[in-house]
Amino acid sequence: MMKLLMAVDGFLLERVSVVCGEAIVLRQVSAHFPGGRCSAVRGASGSGKTTLLRLLNRLIDPTAGRVLLDGAPLTELDVLVLRRRVGLVAQAPVLLTDAVLDEIRVGRPDLSQRRVTELLERVGLGEKFATRPTSGLSGGEAQRLCLARSLAVEPEVLLLDEPTSALDGPSATIIATLVRDHVNEGGTVVLVSHDPALVGGVAERVFELNRGRVIADRGAGDIDHPSSR
Amino acid sequence: MTTSGLAVPSWGGVAASLLLVAVAAAVAYRERLGLTRDIVVAAARAGLQLIAAGAILLLLFRWAGLPGAAGWVTAMILIAGQVAGRRGMGVPRARIAATVGVAAGTAVTLGTLVIARVIDAQAPVIVPLGGMIVSAAMQAAGIALRRLREDAHAARPAIEARLCLGQSARDAFLPHQRSALRTALIPAIDATKVVGLISLPGAMTGLILAGVDPLTAIRYQIVVMYMLLATTALAAFTCARLAERALFDRAHRLISLPPPPHRA
Repeated sequence: MMKLLMAVDGFLLERVSVVCGEAIVLRQVSAHFPGGRCSAVRGASGSGKTTLLRLLNRLIDPTAGRVLLDGAPLTELDVLVLRRRVGLVAQAPVLLTDAVLDEIRVGRPDLSQRRVTELLERVGLGEKFATRPTSGLSGGEAQRLCLARSLAVEPEVLLLDEPTSALDGPSATIIATLVRDHVNEGGTVVLVSHDPALVGGVAERVFELNRGRVIADRGAGDIDHPSSR
Repeated sequence: MTTSGLAVPSWGGVAASLLLVAVAAAVAYRERLGLTRDIVVAAARAGLQLIAAGAILLLLFRWAGLPGAAGWVTAMILIAGQVAGRRGMGVPRARIAATVGVAAGTAVTLGTLVIARVIDAQAPVIVPLGGMIVSAAMQAAGIALRRLREDAHAARPAIEARLCLGQSARDAFLPHQRSALRTALIPAIDATKVVGLISLPGAMTGLILAGVDPLTAIRYQIVVMYMLLATTALAAFTCARLAERALFDRAHRLISLPPPPHRA
């Protein structure tokens, strides 16, 4: 079961800048993604959303400023433990093995068959999917399989980069339910998405990025819900 | 001139064999391959390098003995490390990794053969066998480095996907390291499989030309093939492990690499 170790603090970004070569990807970003909640990050392509997610599990470090998790600077935490606590699911699905069963077990080789079935059902793929090869999966199936693979490690925090970009309406609803369930179990979600229905349906806080700067930080009451438009 | 009754080319004969270089150059010229100059330069370099090597070896065998042979092998290792290291251009400390890999493969293989008294610890034995070992190690290290470097660039999303699941740099890179080692070892394994069937390899050919009977020559060749397998595996493995360490930082992140140079 998921470990409910998350303190209320969650992630805190203090004047974080990221420079890649000559490009300033993030500029003096300060933000708080509260623990046990779902926060969303929106913005145009190239605004720094994915870079921001990659900061949170130390796939990159800030050029300036610092990132804290539950009050502790990420650089002071064991990075391998951190990455098991903070699961990142990239936008473009990358499959690592030839079989669905092996794929789910990449991060947890000891995962039981029953748990594999639970995870597949949770992402809307069904029990029979476990016997399939990974070749020939659709983009949406691969995206959900990558999410199940990440969930197998039982992360406290889920970082989701455009999790519905390859999904149709019903499948996107499954992702929204999954996010809500994760938060209800005490977990934290930081979501990058262009999908207004998903953001409006699950996010309690939304950050708008533009050219590497946070230009808006809105709470639940201020979020544009698609139904209110 | 003869050795054990077999004719050895005179210097005039060597000069006459330049006609064969002219044949290769003519084909390249006629087919407009743009390689005519390269063929001539390569042939000239080969001639000069071998004459120089022959002269140095003559001096070495007569005057320098075993220490001279050790120095010669060391020099070969250093040169081979530089050559193999170029295959991993972009990988930090690639030349050091290649040099250490070649040195490890050579030291263990040659050392084992000498300590087990399979070969004599004499300069005329150590230098040619050392050359074969260093050459095989250089090729294996170069292939492994090139493959690792290509994978580190092309397979970054897959490597990062594994890192995101909490795997260490070593575990995340292991599938690619295995693939690089397989690629580096396959030529040596294939050569070992077909030896004697579709090729009569260098050591055996040389001994037969020198008048040694074939059943004696194959004993040397069997040892040579086994030692080449060992040195290939050791050099590729050592080099790959060092390169893997250089490709990741302390936070288990794959470093940024420029794209590999385009190969036509």
